[in-house]
Amino acid sequence: MISGNKNRHPKRLARLLLSLPLLWVGASHCEAAVQVAPLPPATQALIAALGQAAPARTAFAEARFMRLLDRPLVVSGELAWLGGDQLQRRVAQPRAETATIANGEVTQQREGKRARHFSLARAPQLQVLLDSFVALLSGDAGRLQQAFVIERQGEAAGAWTLDLTPRDARVARTIARISIDGYGGQSRCMRMQEVDGDLAVDLLGPLAAKMPAQPTRESLAALCQGTP
Amino acid sequence: MVSQRLHVSSDLRSFMPAPTTPDQRLLMEQVGEGPGSRLLLVSISGATDAQLAGLSQGLVAALKHDAHYSQVINGSFDLGALDPKLLPYRYLLSPTLDTQPLDADYLADELQQRVDDLSSPAASLLKDLLPRDPTLEVLKLARQWAPAKSPQIREGVWFSPKDEALLLVQTVAAGFDPGAQQQAVDGIERAFHALPGSAQARLQLSGPGYFSVVMGAQTRHQADWIGRISTVGFIALLLLAYRSVASLLLSALPIASAALAGIAALTLVFPAVHGITLAFGFTLLGVAQEYPIRVLSHRRAGEDAVASVRALWPLLLTAIASACIAYAAFYASGVTGLQQLAVFTIVGLLVAGLSTRYLLPYLLPRRVRDVADMPWLKRARDLVDRLPRPRWIPLLVAAVIVALLWTARGPFWQNNLAALTPLPQAMLVHDARLRAALGAPDVRYLLVLSAPSEQGVLALSEKLQPAVDALLAKGAADALELPARYLPSVAVQRARQARLPDPATLRRELDAALQGLPFRSDVFAPFLHDVETARHLPPLTPENYASSPLGQRLAAMLVKRDGHWLGLGTVSGVRDVSALQALGAGSGGHVRLLDMKAASESLVVDYRNRILHALLLAALALVLTISFALRSVRRAWHVLAPMTLATFLVLAVERAIGIEISLFHLVALILAGGLGLHYALFFERDTGDAAEQRRVLHATIVCVLSALLVFGMLAWASIPVLRAIGLTVSLGVAFHFCLSILMAPHARQD
Repeated sequence: MISGNKNRHPKRLARLLLSLPLLWVGASHCEAAVQVAPLPPATQALIAALGQAAPARTAFAEARFMRLLDRPLVVSGELAWLGGDQLQRRVAQPRAETATIANGEVTQQREGKRARHFSLARAPQLQVLLDSFVALLSGDAGRLQQAFVIERQGEAAGAWTLDLTPRDARVARTIARISIDGYGGQSRCMRMQEVDGDLAVDLLGPLAAKMPAQPTRESLAALCQGTP
Repeated sequence: MVSQRLHVSSDLRSFMPAPTTPDQRLLMEQVGEGPGSRLLLVSISGATDAQLAGLSQGLVAALKHDAHYSQVINGSFDLGALDPKLLPYRYLLSPTLDTQPLDADYLADELQQRVDDLSSPAASLLKDLLPRDPTLEVLKLARQWAPAKSPQIREGVWFSPKDEALLLVQTVAAGFDPGAQQQAVDGIERAFHALPGSAQARLQLSGPGYFSVVMGAQTRHQADWIGRISTVGFIALLLLAYRSVASLLLSALPIASAALAGIAALTLVFPAVHGITLAFGFTLLGVAQEYPIRVLSHRRAGEDAVASVRALWPLLLTAIASACIAYAAFYASGVTGLQQLAVFTIVGLLVAGLSTRYLLPYLLPRRVRDVADMPWLKRARDLVDRLPRPRWIPLLVAAVIVALLWTARGPFWQNNLAALTPLPQAMLVHDARLRAALGAPDVRYLLVLSAPSEQGVLALSEKLQPAVDALLAKGAADALELPARYLPSVAVQRARQARLPDPATLRRELDAALQGLPFRSDVFAPFLHDVETARHLPPLTPENYASSPLGQRLAAMLVKRDGHWLGLGTVSGVRDVSALQALGAGSGGHVRLLDMKAASESLVVDYRNRILHALLLAALALVLTISFALRSVRRAWHVLAPMTLATFLVLAVERAIGIEISLFHLVALILAGGLGLHYALFFERDTGDAAEQRRVLHATIVCVLSALLVFGMLAWASIPVLRAIGLTVSLGVAFHFCLSILMAPHARQD
């Protein structure tokens, strides 16, 4: 019962972290479908065109800007959508780590440490991310619309941006907006803006390799919204 | 005056014997007031998970500030469980400093892990905590204090495998106080129904407090309708027997005056009268109804009521005296509730007898129906007189008794108090299921630590902790919580405090640790502040901890007794009892495992032995009294022998049916004996007058029927205690009646 063993510590730690409802971000995933205004057909077509057959894999590079830190945290690896609600996030740099989301459970495996499990229900923010990724990778506009208010800028033929604002008030208290930038039928960037000012930017696909050594919010914004 | 001074209590422990051994004392305290007894398990079902979670949170919010509940938890970790004022204490409460100084290496390692956590999905949950607590002591404490086996969490609250939202509520009221528990239960139900969306959901409670509420309601309900039917039947019977409304009303006089006198005596002698005493007392007063019946039946035409009573009086007096001796056995038992019963009954019987003798005859109407003239009675008496009464009847009955007792299977004595519970099986199963799901502590075992002081107890439990951990690792139990889990001793706190670095050193170490890490330099100012505060805090003692919910939990585990302190460790999921007992092996008696079931059984056995001894003395006194009153041993034999044989016959028959004899059966046997004594006394008397004999028979038949009415109804109750009493007395009355007749001296052969 005494937490003296270092190896067991992170597992219990994670379990605890994710049981803290410090931010009561609730997933409205299980609730009945919300009645929403229909999407304009162009947006729907755009989202549908993004869909790929499972398993869909994409490289990613993520930069996180946080108030606590004086420089962004950068990780890179591969995202895979394995069909249904199964997502795998494999990080290669700087530390190997794999997170698999399947059947409402998250399994995190870090190099040299034991795997930790926790229920997706304990991490509503992950649920939101899961929803958005899965919806994008499968081209499911309806599902995306259930969770977010969608605004589109730009045309499907060229550079476009989808701004997703969470519908659920509790989620909206922490996540201000998720922006997805793309060109043509491919999404290139996902930017998650949190209410307290923190920003996470994921560069997807071919753009992942172009993550600068010292990323800044501006340089990444330019990268995302530029033409390939 | 009486109503002003009468104070009815509902503490069931006054009906339990005074504990003698330390274990028994602890048992009584724990069962009544211990942490386990105050725990109510709540489950909400019947809606979607999200709705149930919402209701669960709503209930917590509603009850949190209610003074009746010391703790309401539903799985959502409440940082408020650690009072914000106590937050800086985390460095003294957490075991980290025991093994690990806050130096650059440790801090560097922790901060690197935090960086990794920040780039993982858990980032957002960690962000706010980090500046103040980079080593996450709060979470280590939360993990330490969380139940070892907690239910799964969905939507942020506890859920059982059967999709019910679960909550634990700790009441301020003790478990053995049905009145206060009723208030607590009502409060929870009110709060629940006030929540929006609670209409279609179902709230279910469980736990010792709730059970006592249910039992109380059931008992009251049954006592009510049984009382009503008995009263109606009794009235009908008397009207049928005497065909006179006036007689009926007047016969109520002695009983009413007896009841009043009894209550008055109780208020004078005892500070609080137990509700059960009053209920049982009125049943016992059923014996008193015999006196007016005897008087009414013995009236004859032309005779002054006063004269007939005078003639009857010596026998009545003997009967009253004998009954009082029997009930005096209750007084000798030393149990408060039974003593109250004894005082109530004895005073009541004396007053009833006296009012029958001195009050009733003057009030009875002159015109009277002589019951001796009733035709059916003549036939009945003839029948009774013609019954063969061979001398070998007693031997035959004795033989039957021995045979039945010999062949009866199962244990003789019922030692298990749990068998007396009237709760439906479904409720007990539900409770067991919730208890297992919530990891709530076992109600059977307690690990008891004793030391001269509070701090001594905490130090002892710290010393014991490694052995306990080893046991748990081997699977001897699911969890064992010792008091030091919630609060380390002052010595340990000071040791940890001494290890906290001073501000300058900490700043230096932190700066060294932050080298190469992406944290801003000023981020950890709150952390430095907290450590500095912790260095100067006075150690936390149980008193100043008590205001928080965790402090309450600790307070329940530390008990002061006879000048020394006891620490109570709760156990759940016990699998290897002997291993737990072995924990106390080398401690010199300071550590022991208390088996509450064994302690309660020893309590029951002591209780029973005490009552049996008292009964033996009462029996001797009875023999002497009757012999003296009747001035002939042979006559005394005709009175005492049927009574003794009938009593043992009831015992034998109940054993043959398979009933285990409990304390309540003994109480009921005494009651039946009191009634039977009257029958035997009156049947034994031979006045030589046939009409008089008929009157005796009439009176006895009315008495028997009224007794059977009251106690026969009780035998149908669903509550085992009432059933035991009803069955025993009904059988007793029937057997006493038959044997008194069969063993009475023959009318002609005197």
